Amino acid sequence: MSQIISQPAIRRLVKQWLREGKRVVAPVQIRPDLVSYQPVRSADQFLLDGFIRPLNSIKEVVFPRHEQLFQYRVRGKQIDLLPAPLPDIERIVLAARPCDAAALPILDHVFNWESRDAAYNQRRKLTTVVALACMEHDAHCFCTSLGGGPDDTRGSDALLFDLGDDTLEVRCVTDKGQNLFAGQTESSTRTAPSVPGPERQADLQQVGQQLEQAFERSDWAAWTNRCLGCGACAFGCPACHCFDMVDEGGPTCGARVRNWDACQFGQFTLHASGHNPRSAQSQRQRQRIYHKFHVYPQKFGELLCTGCGNCTRNCPVSLGVLPVLEAMQAEGA
Amino acid sequence: MTNIYQPDLMEVLDVQQQTADVKSVRVRFRDEARSDDFHFRVGQFGMFSLFGYGESTFNICSSSNWKDFVEFCFRRTGRVTEALWSLEKNDTIGFRGPYGNSYPMDKWVGKNLIFIGGGIAMPPLRCAIWYALENRGQFGDITIVYGARRAQDLVFRKELDRWAEYDRVRVVRCVDPGGETPDWTGEVGFVPAVTEQAQIPADNAVALVIGPPVMIKFTLPVLAKMGLADRDIYTSLENRMKCGVGKCGRCNCGPVYVCKEGPVFTLEQLKALPSDY
Repeated sequence: MSQIISQPAIRRLVKQWLREGKRVVAPVQIRPDLVSYQPVRSADQFLLDGFIRPLNSIKEVVFPRHEQLFQYRVRGKQIDLLPAPLPDIERIVLAARPCDAAALPILDHVFNWESRDAAYNQRRKLTTVVALACMEHDAHCFCTSLGGGPDDTRGSDALLFDLGDDTLEVRCVTDKGQNLFAGQTESSTRTAPSVPGPERQADLQQVGQQLEQAFERSDWAAWTNRCLGCGACAFGCPACHCFDMVDEGGPTCGARVRNWDACQFGQFTLHASGHNPRSAQSQRQRQRIYHKFHVYPQKFGELLCTGCGNCTRNCPVSLGVLPVLEAMQAEGA
Repeated sequence: MTNIYQPDLMEVLDVQQQTADVKSVRVRFRDEARSDDFHFRVGQFGMFSLFGYGESTFNICSSSNWKDFVEFCFRRTGRVTEALWSLEKNDTIGFRGPYGNSYPMDKWVGKNLIFIGGGIAMPPLRCAIWYALENRGQFGDITIVYGARRAQDLVFRKELDRWAEYDRVRVVRCVDPGGETPDWTGEVGFVPAVTEQAQIPADNAVALVIGPPVMIKFTLPVLAKMGLADRDIYTSLENRMKCGVGKCGRCNCGPVYVCKEGPVFTLEQLKALPSDY
């Protein structure tokens, strides 16, 4: 037996969630050729099918592009710091791709090792993720190489499957998912057929072995020569999490804020002395590959990539991690 | 859960101009309870900030034996340090820390200590030097080689004289050729060459070497020639940092986050890391 729900019923649920003051984030068609995860304002605004992958990722629900860390007020010699209030709005991510949801438990490691990031954890606690299994993939998808797949449940509280004729199968994964759909589904004998994953593959075991020796290779320049250093790969990535901290405001009042940053920028590691450990773009590309496929796994036991392919999809010169890994594999060990 | 990015407030007790573009600042927590609880180990760093300008990473250059205040030292270089340049007594700054690992002073007990520094790298040596002098009985001969481009660029100049007065402490000062003043009594030459000629007692010794990459590069072979093993040569990396707590993703050298597992490394450890610093 399975649990099913109709599309109109889901839209009614969304209406209810919005009425209850919850924030609902779902794929929205923002241009004929562009789908993006956006906060939805009405229940008919979002997509439940007909898209491969939004151009952004759901990480911004738990790790916003820009956030205040605290505010400061200066009056003469008196300085007051006003902590940014912890987030309190419940969030529901609907129809997330499994490759997006899978990144959240991966991100939990870095935001919690040794010291805990309070705002991140609070948003994680307030967020319920309902993923939508993939029926299709494109040439950039390679999730199965990373242990994922069209119906991967990592990071999801519930997973939806399109059964056609406006009906979705609901598989709850966690208590949060159960609570969200309690009393909203009906029993059925219909279950979703399993969908094959993308054909494109990277042999991550081979990559891991190659990276043991590849740091000093001169090929990095050839493999990454066309990179423009724009950082689009990082901003659209569900797992990239580097950030900058700066003060915004004047000497009397303002805030210390955190903004997304990217290792592809020349200033990212620039010392005050002028020395830059990663002064060449190829060194910055190398860092991105190493961070995802060597550093993060060594530190936290998980790859910092879910094979979503967004880095290549968003790249103005179609680079991204898979083309680099493929070039590396083609060269052999 | 506390906000790990929100600093404590510290009051400026004193500002000393060290050179034309370097100042040292003594600060104390505004909150007395925080001041009483605060402990650090020499070699650790802090994130120091001026509200409206931003945060910068500096070594805590005072000794961990000194209570009620800490000191840091900076060169006027960018947005934050330009603003810090105007600091006066009673001003307030932000402080987060202490962060990172530290010099293994316990492991150095019974050894001869060699401190080698260049230019603005004196502050991260100074905390360890004072610590060693305050525990003088625990260590053997102490040699300090400190160089700068010009005589007037030496930081903590007055303290060099005070250190030289301690028993079995030798301070070797040097300036680059052309950087000497008429009354200069120290050596003229680059730090690696001066180190080589200084006949430093190198048996049973550890060296702490901090300075510009080029100085470190040419000093390491000299220390090897003197017989120091890679595991007895220490340095402190200065990778750019924002969070200081292993989250923001920019200070790593391969699998090592300099803010957490550093900034202090032995040459043996550094050789096992990718050259990403």
